Amino acid sequence: MKSLKTVLLAGFACLTLSGTAMAQSVTVYTAGPGSLIEKLAAGFKDESGIDVNVFQATTGKVMARLEAESSNPVADIVISASWKTATSFAKKDMLLDYTSANAKNVPDFLKGPGYVAQGISALAIAWNPKSGTPKPTDWTDLTKPEYHDLITMPDPAQSGSAYELVAALTAQPDLGWKLFDGLAANKMIVPGANAQALNPVLQGAKAVVFGAVDYIGLAQAAKGEAIEIVFPKSGTVIAPRPMMILKTSAHPDDAKKFIDYVLSDAGQALVAKTQLMPARADVTADRPLIADLKILEVDPKTDRKAVLDHFAKTFGME
Amino acid sequence: MRLKHLTSRVFGNGGMIFAAVAPVLTVLVAFPLLFVILQAIFPDIARGIFANPFSRFVVTLFDKHLLSWTLNTLMLGGSVVLVSALVAVPLGILRGLFRIPFAGLWDVVFLVPFTIPPYIAALGWIMALQPRGYLEQITGINFGGFLFSFWGVVFVMTLNVFPVVYFAVSRMVASIGGRYLEAARVAGCPPMRSFWRITLPLTTPAIAASLLLVFAMAIEEFGTPAALAARSGFLVLVTGIEQRLSDYPIDLPGASLLSVILVLIAMAAFVLQNRIVSRRDFQTVSGKPGASGAAELGVWRIPVVMFFAIIGFLGAVMPILSVILTASTRTISGGLAADNFSTDNFAEIFANSGGAMEALGTSLSLGLGAALITGILGTMTAYVVVRQRTVSSRILDFLTLMPNTIPGVVVAVGLILAWNQPWLPITPYNTIGILVLAYCCLLLPYPVRYANAALRQVSVSLEDAARVAGAGGIKVFFRILMPLIFPSILAAMLLVFAVAARELVATILLAPIGTKTVALFIWRQFEQGSVGMGMAMSVMAIAITMTIPVAVAIWARKQGRLF
Repeated sequence: MKSLKTVLLAGFACLTLSGTAMAQSVTVYTAGPGSLIEKLAAGFKDESGIDVNVFQATTGKVMARLEAESSNPVADIVISASWKTATSFAKKDMLLDYTSANAKNVPDFLKGPGYVAQGISALAIAWNPKSGTPKPTDWTDLTKPEYHDLITMPDPAQSGSAYELVAALTAQPDLGWKLFDGLAANKMIVPGANAQALNPVLQGAKAVVFGAVDYIGLAQAAKGEAIEIVFPKSGTVIAPRPMMILKTSAHPDDAKKFIDYVLSDAGQALVAKTQLMPARADVTADRPLIADLKILEVDPKTDRKAVLDHFAKTFGME
Repeated sequence: MRLKHLTSRVFGNGGMIFAAVAPVLTVLVAFPLLFVILQAIFPDIARGIFANPFSRFVVTLFDKHLLSWTLNTLMLGGSVVLVSALVAVPLGILRGLFRIPFAGLWDVVFLVPFTIPPYIAALGWIMALQPRGYLEQITGINFGGFLFSFWGVVFVMTLNVFPVVYFAVSRMVASIGGRYLEAARVAGCPPMRSFWRITLPLTTPAIAASLLLVFAMAIEEFGTPAALAARSGFLVLVTGIEQRLSDYPIDLPGASLLSVILVLIAMAAFVLQNRIVSRRDFQTVSGKPGASGAAELGVWRIPVVMFFAIIGFLGAVMPILSVILTASTRTISGGLAADNFSTDNFAEIFANSGGAMEALGTSLSLGLGAALITGILGTMTAYVVVRQRTVSSRILDFLTLMPNTIPGVVVAVGLILAWNQPWLPITPYNTIGILVLAYCCLLLPYPVRYANAALRQVSVSLEDAARVAGAGGIKVFFRILMPLIFPSILAAMLLVFAVAARELVATILLAPIGTKTVALFIWRQFEQGSVGMGMAMSVMAIAITMTIPVAVAIWARKQGRLF
């Protein structure tokens, strides 16, 4: 018994030691896509010789790990898929105030004290052209009988960008909740987070995603899936992905170099390659950019819980 | 002589084992769970601040959804327990009592559902049965209406978890042997009556213990109810927990508090189980030679094999078939068209063999490690619980069940809170050691419940006899007890191995930076939209994971016993 314990203890000690012995490095906690951070990390390592330790998960899981670690923080940089994380971290004075020289071509609304966008996604309609339905051009088209029982939407309680879409659209004076009442009457389903909403449309069980994340759909289309991304003409919401250096960072200088790299020509080209919109206005991409889209604003004073409750009630999710 | 007598007495009552097990369980289970409870009470505990206790209670507990979520959770747990019992108890009893054709094959087949991650199984079923799914593409019919309903969830979850009951019951029945039935037959008791009066009551501890595990798994599982029934408005407590951790702003205290409710529900189930078991404690393994050898099925041979085959087909073949189809088609929207079939996904896995193989290696070692540690620890805990029967051993017993009733993501949060404390001199956090801790914590319930049920059958008089004959405590344990309960423990260890080799929910949050496991590899493919590649990796992972149980089954067959 005693020897077993000794072995286990020795094992733990070895593991702990090997875990702490690290070269010059910076630790990034990031929301997806995983391929982007892998490429950014490799490019940064080539340029600077600094290792990037990556923890990648969904925004919710990144935040949960950050929060649980807060008595003994590990991360240097956080990249989230929700702009709100940045503004609220800034308000709580958790961010290192740093403005990269490479951020000068990033539009003002995509940066703030201590944070700057890495890239931007927008919500769109993802339509399966093999579904036998007409191609929709605007959100309200989906209340038509042609799409009856053929629509899915990501759950706004689980996806921050879907919540923003609901908040923005219901705040439109001519729409209000009428649009969502129409979608509910058209039997739209809300099967879960973004991936669960897209899957039935890919296989053809449904025809359209209301509020699909654009870069995921564009990447699927590039792979040959029968899916088209439609940016509704009445406008949509965007989700800039903020990068920030935490005040608790033990490697602030390396972290700054990483932010510089992501905003460099090379870094922004990698962002564009994953079908995200680059943060810098002077970098182009093979897809519609912010200037091409009509962007709907979300009133920051919107009562999130009230919107989510109303939504849940409309779609019988109580 | 006196000293030996003394130690053997202490050891015999489980005192020494208790002294060894209690601290380990405290570190492994109680320490992280304490932090889940602290987090529920003190919202800022993550920053080491004990301010505003209970401040999140009102907003969480007076949530108007809470009652319906709780009732739905109970309904789902109860239904999965019921259907699992209806399917797996007969299967297990048949397997234990009779000579079933291809018996070893069925054991291996019934282990397959455990190697399929629940979210993959759910996705496999969706892609097979939803409108325009594979079944409709082949036969023109779909079962979307059934799948996306409450009973669809129960159906899929039952197929995921019934093996827990099957293995517990079959091992138990086999260890009781046909001796009592033989006696009943000699005494003129008709077969059906002896089944109801003898076999079923004797198997009760195994049935109750395994159904408790099923209940705990059913109330904490998120993926299946979310994927299948959320769209029809059927939400459970775990839905609420996941919502609180899925996007910004997250709510750790709320998630922890809802988990505590799950623990309380499980505690009620645990008390109920103990009531049932303690009234029916039959020590049947008394050392008398049993009329060993399973009975012949006779005319029932074909119907029984059909029964095994149908459940095996639904539980293992169907979901895997759907996974294989997705893995071998180029695009999902292309469907099962001839020109859409390709081996690209598998080729890409092999091209990225570095990453994929590394992930497989890590997962298999983690699975083996977790199986060994939980096997040893679980047996010792069960021994203390069964032989001591004190309040403290009861607490120990429930402690080992708790992690199984809390969603993995919340256990993971507890582990971070606990093991990332700045005052700890050494910590496994941010090393692979934290995953070992997490899997052991989450999966300890299997060996504990299995060993518990098996030990209850072993008469104390066997141990006493050995001691009278001069054997020491350790010798009694390894020479007398272990051989008798080993089939149950081995089966539980295989379950632990299968689950640990594919665990995702806690792994996402806890994986040390740079560590790749199979589940993380698959999840990243899904998240990047490469469903086909994720499925290809799943197929390979299931195939490779299954080699261990197959090897064990072949070895057990050579030894002439059940694994």
